[in-house]
Amino acid sequence: MPEPKQEVPILEAPLLEVRDLRKHFATRRGLLSALSREAGSQVIPAIDGVSFDLHENETLGLVGESGCGKTTTGKAILKLHNVTSGTIRYRGADITSQTQAQFRPLRRDIQMIFQDLDAALNPKVRIQDILNEAVRIGEPGADKEAVQRRIYELLDLVNLKKNKLANFPSELSGGEKRRIGIARVLAVRPKLIVADEPTSALDVSIQAQVINLMRDLQAQFGLSYLFISHDLQLVELMSHRVAVMYLGQIVEMGPAKEVAKHPKHPYTSILWASIVEKRSKEIEDGGAAPAWGVFDFERPRGGCRFAPRCPVYAARGKPAICTDSASAPTLQPTGEGRVVACHFPL
Amino acid sequence: MKFTYRQEVDTVSEYSSFSAWKSARRSDRLSVIYGLVVVCVVLVSYVLGAFKWLPHDPDAMEIEAMMLPPFSDGYLLGTDFMGRDILTRLILGIQAYFLPGLLAVCLSLGLGSLLGVLAGYRGGRAEAGVTYFSNLIDSLPRMVLMLLVIAAFRPNIFIIMLVFGITTAPTIAMLVKSKVLMLKERNFIESAVALGLSPATIIFKHILWYNCRALLLIQATIGMAEAVLLETSLSYLGFGVQEPTPSWGNMVQAGANYLMQGNFWPSTAPAIAIMLTVLGFHLLGDGLNNIFEWKQSR
Amino acid sequence: MSEQMNKPPLLRIEDLRTYFYSRVKRAFVRSVDGVDLEVMHGETLGIVGESGSGKSVTMLSAMGLVTTTPGVITGKVTFHDESPKDLLEGLDANVKLERREGRIMRVAKDNQLWQKQADRNLKGVRGGKISMIFQNPRAALNPFETVGKQIAEAVRLHTNIKGAAEAKEKAMYWLEQVRIDSPRMRYGNHPYGLSGGMSQRAMIAMALAAEPKMLIADEPTTGLDATIQARIVDLLDDLKARLGMTMVLISHDIGVISRLSDRIAVMYGGRVMETGPAAEVLDEHAEGHPYTRALLSSTPRPENVLASGHLPAIEGEVLDTINVPPGCRFKARCQRINDTVRPHCESQEPELFELGSDRRIRCWLYAPK
Repeated sequence: MPEPKQEVPILEAPLLEVRDLRKHFATRRGLLSALSREAGSQVIPAIDGVSFDLHENETLGLVGESGCGKTTTGKAILKLHNVTSGTIRYRGADITSQTQAQFRPLRRDIQMIFQDLDAALNPKVRIQDILNEAVRIGEPGADKEAVQRRIYELLDLVNLKKNKLANFPSELSGGEKRRIGIARVLAVRPKLIVADEPTSALDVSIQAQVINLMRDLQAQFGLSYLFISHDLQLVELMSHRVAVMYLGQIVEMGPAKEVAKHPKHPYTSILWASIVEKRSKEIEDGGAAPAWGVFDFERPRGGCRFAPRCPVYAARGKPAICTDSASAPTLQPTGEGRVVACHFPL
Repeated sequence: MKFTYRQEVDTVSEYSSFSAWKSARRSDRLSVIYGLVVVCVVLVSYVLGAFKWLPHDPDAMEIEAMMLPPFSDGYLLGTDFMGRDILTRLILGIQAYFLPGLLAVCLSLGLGSLLGVLAGYRGGRAEAGVTYFSNLIDSLPRMVLMLLVIAAFRPNIFIIMLVFGITTAPTIAMLVKSKVLMLKERNFIESAVALGLSPATIIFKHILWYNCRALLLIQATIGMAEAVLLETSLSYLGFGVQEPTPSWGNMVQAGANYLMQGNFWPSTAPAIAIMLTVLGFHLLGDGLNNIFEWKQSR
Repeated sequence: MSEQMNKPPLLRIEDLRTYFYSRVKRAFVRSVDGVDLEVMHGETLGIVGESGSGKSVTMLSAMGLVTTTPGVITGKVTFHDESPKDLLEGLDANVKLERREGRIMRVAKDNQLWQKQADRNLKGVRGGKISMIFQNPRAALNPFETVGKQIAEAVRLHTNIKGAAEAKEKAMYWLEQVRIDSPRMRYGNHPYGLSGGMSQRAMIAMALAAEPKMLIADEPTTGLDATIQARIVDLLDDLKARLGMTMVLISHDIGVISRLSDRIAVMYGGRVMETGPAAEVLDEHAEGHPYTRALLSSTPRPENVLASGHLPAIEGEVLDTINVPPGCRFKARCQRINDTVRPHCESQEPELFELGSDRRIRCWLYAPK
C-alpha cells in the first residue's frame, strides 16, 4: 500500500465535477408568518459557490469548522439535499437536474458513510438483514445462496466474524457498527464514497483500524473518497488533496502535504496551528504561537468572509479591499496545483 | 428503597442478551399474561358463538327456570328474567363487538398509519394537511357524531364502528407521525435513501414494519378496549345491538331492572365481563408498551 | 516544591468501585472497578482513557453525582483541604456486597439513604471547594437567566461576597479572567446568544467564581471546533499558571492531556493502568505500559505512519466492562505479552508496580523480580 501520491496525474475527465454549488436554507418560521407572506424571510447560505473536481482513485479531504457546509456539500452530491443552484456532474452526467427516480440507478456508484454510528443502521433490523438488503441492491436477481456468499465476502473484507450476523446494531461496539456501515456501502460496489467524519465517534485505538481499512479498500477497489473531517491530522494523512472550507466557501485547495506545511490562506494557517499537540511543541521550542483571529466567530460584513477574524487583515491595517463586497476574493491558482482565495496570501 | 442486583454467571457471553421478555419487569409480564388470557378467552368464545356450540339455546325461554341464581343445576351463571342462560348469552354477546371492533381497529390503524407516515415522511404541506384533518376530526365530539349517524341510518353496529374507526384514526396518525419524525432524526432513513432503496421499501419495510409494528400492536389492543366500551355503552342506551340479540350492553340494561329486587346477577355478570375484558386489553397494551417500546438496550 | 511534596494529597481516591446493572444481560457493568488516584496540591492530573474506561465516572462518583443504581458501592475519597474529610464517609453502611471468588456478584443498596448521606457529606465541597466543568456547556447553563447573573449567583453562594453590586463586580472580573471578548456586553447575554466557545468560557468563569480549591474539567474541549478547542486549552493553561489551581482534567484527547497535565493517569476498563509524570508517561521511547505505548503510536500523526502507509492500530475491541476477564484487562490486545509473563497475565491481575519514585504501572512486565 503506497503513500498517498502527492502528484495526482490529471486525468482527462474527473469522476466528479462540482461547479458553483449553492445551497440556501430558509429559516424555519411559524405558521402565521408563512401565511402572511411577509417580506424578508431569512436565508442562510450553507454552501455558497463551491467548485471542485474529484478524480478516480483519489481522496479529497474537506476540512473546516462545524457549520462551514462540508457535510451539506457531501449530502448534496448524494442528492440528499436539493441544491439551490450549481451543477454536479458524475462521469459527465449532470445529476443536479435529475429527479430522484432517475438518479436511483446512479446511487450504486455514489455512496456515503455517515458520521453517526447508529444513524445509518435501522435499530430493529438484524445485521444479516441489513446486509442482505444492501447486497440485493448491488446484485439484483442473485439467488439466495449467492447473496449469502456475498454477505460472507463482505464480512471478510471488513474483518468481522460471521457470528455477528444474528445481532442487532445496538449489540455491537462502535468499531463493529462502523465496519457494518462500510460493508453495507461496499455491497453495492460503489466508485465514489463520501465519508462524513467516519472516525469521529470512535476511540483512538479503533480509529486507526478503520483508517487502515479504508485505505486498503481504496487500493483494492480503486475507490474515490470525499473525506469530510474536522480532524486536520487525519485529513493530512488520508487525502491526496485537501480543500479548506470557511462559511460555505472553499478558501484554499491543493495537495494535502503542501497545504498543511505551507498554508497560503490565513484561515488554513490558523486551522493547522490549532492542532493542540503541534502547538504545545511549538511553544516548548520557544517559537511564537501564531496569532489568533480576533473573535471566536463572527458573521462577515461583506467582501472576504474571513476578514473579521483575520490576523492578516488586522495586521495590514484593515485594507478596504477585504471588506469591499464588490471584490470578494476568488480562488486564484498559485502554482503546484494549488488555489487560494485571499487578497494577501501568506 | 432498597435495591438488590445479582449476577449469576461469571462470564456473560459477549453479545447475546436476554430477550425483551426475559429482562422485562415482573409486573409487565403479568399484565401481558393476563391480557393474553383475556384475548384467548374472547377468541375461543367468539368461535364457539360463531359455530353455535353453546351450552344452551340463547333464546329458549323456560318459565320454570326464571331468575335462577349462579351455580344452579345446568346454569353456571344462572338465568335471566326470561329464563335464558346467562353464560350462553355472554358468549354470544361477544359476536356484537368482536368482528365490528376488529374491523374498526384495522380501519383506524390502516388509515392512521398511512396518514401518519405521509405527514412524517413528506413533511411540509402533507404534514400541515394531515394535522389540520386530525384536529378537525378531534374537535368533533365523538359520541354526538355517533348519535347523529345512528339517527341518519338505522342503528347498525358496523356503521357505528366505521365512524369509530375514522374518528380514532387521527390519534394513530399523530403517534405514527411523531415516531417517523423521531426516526428521521436518527437519519437511518436518509442512509436508506442513499443506499438506493425505493421509497416504498423504506416506508413500508423500514418505517412501518420494523419500527411502528410494536406501536401499532399496542394501539390495536387499546382500540379494541375502546371498541368494547363503545359497543356496550351504545347497546346499553339502546342504540346498538337490539334485543333479543344478546350484547353485554343490553344485558346490563335489561338486568338492571331486577337489581333492586335482589337479583343482582343478570346485570352484574355482563358488567364484570366488560370490566375484565377492557382491563385485559388495556393491560396487554400497557405491558407490551413497557416491554417493547421502553426496552433499554442496557 | 518540596513543601508541596510533603503535604498530603488534596484529593485521594482509594478502592473506588462504581457499578451499573444491565437488565438485558443480567450482569454488572463494572465501570469503575477499584480505582486509586491522588491529586496533589497545585498540580494538574490528566486522566486519559477511551470510552468505557471509567474516567468520567470516577470523578462523578467521587463527587457523589452518580445517581443510577447500584452506582458507587465501595471506596474512600479523602479531601484534604485544612483537615482531611472523607467524602464517602459512612456510606458503606447502606451497601451490602456478596463476593464469589473475589468478584462482587451481588449488591444490595439502600439508594435513598445513600444519596442523603452523600449529599450531607458533600455539602459545601461540591460546587464550592471542588467545582466542575463539563463537555456540554449549554446544558449546564440555565437558558432563562443571563450569563452574568448566573456567575454572580455562584459568587454569592460560595464566597463571602454577599452584596449584589460586589457580586456583579466579581462576576465581571471572572468574565475578564476567562478572556471572553467584551465582558460587559456578555454579562447581559443569555446562553443562547453565545457561541460554543463562549459558553465554555462562561461555564469556566462560573466554576471559578466559587473560588474552588480544585477544578474538575470533564472533556472541556470535546465537541468544539479545532480553533476554539486550541483557545480553550490556551485559556486553561493560562489560568493554571495565573491562579495556581489544582485541576483534574479528563479527556480522551492525548493532545489536550499532554499540553496541560503535570501528572497523568491512564485508565482502561475501569482501572488505572499507569500513573506518572506527564513527560515520562507520554514519552514514546521510554519504558511504559503496553497500552499507553500502543495508544500513542496509533494516533494519526505523520510520524506514526508505517512504511506500508498503515497506522499501527491496536487490534481488537475496547474492553467491555460488562465482561471483565480474569487476569490483566489488556491481555487480549497486548502486543508485548511474552511467554515469560503470559501465565501471570492470564491468571492474575497485576498490581500497580512501582517504577521509579512517582511512576506506577499495572503490568506484569514491570513486576519486581
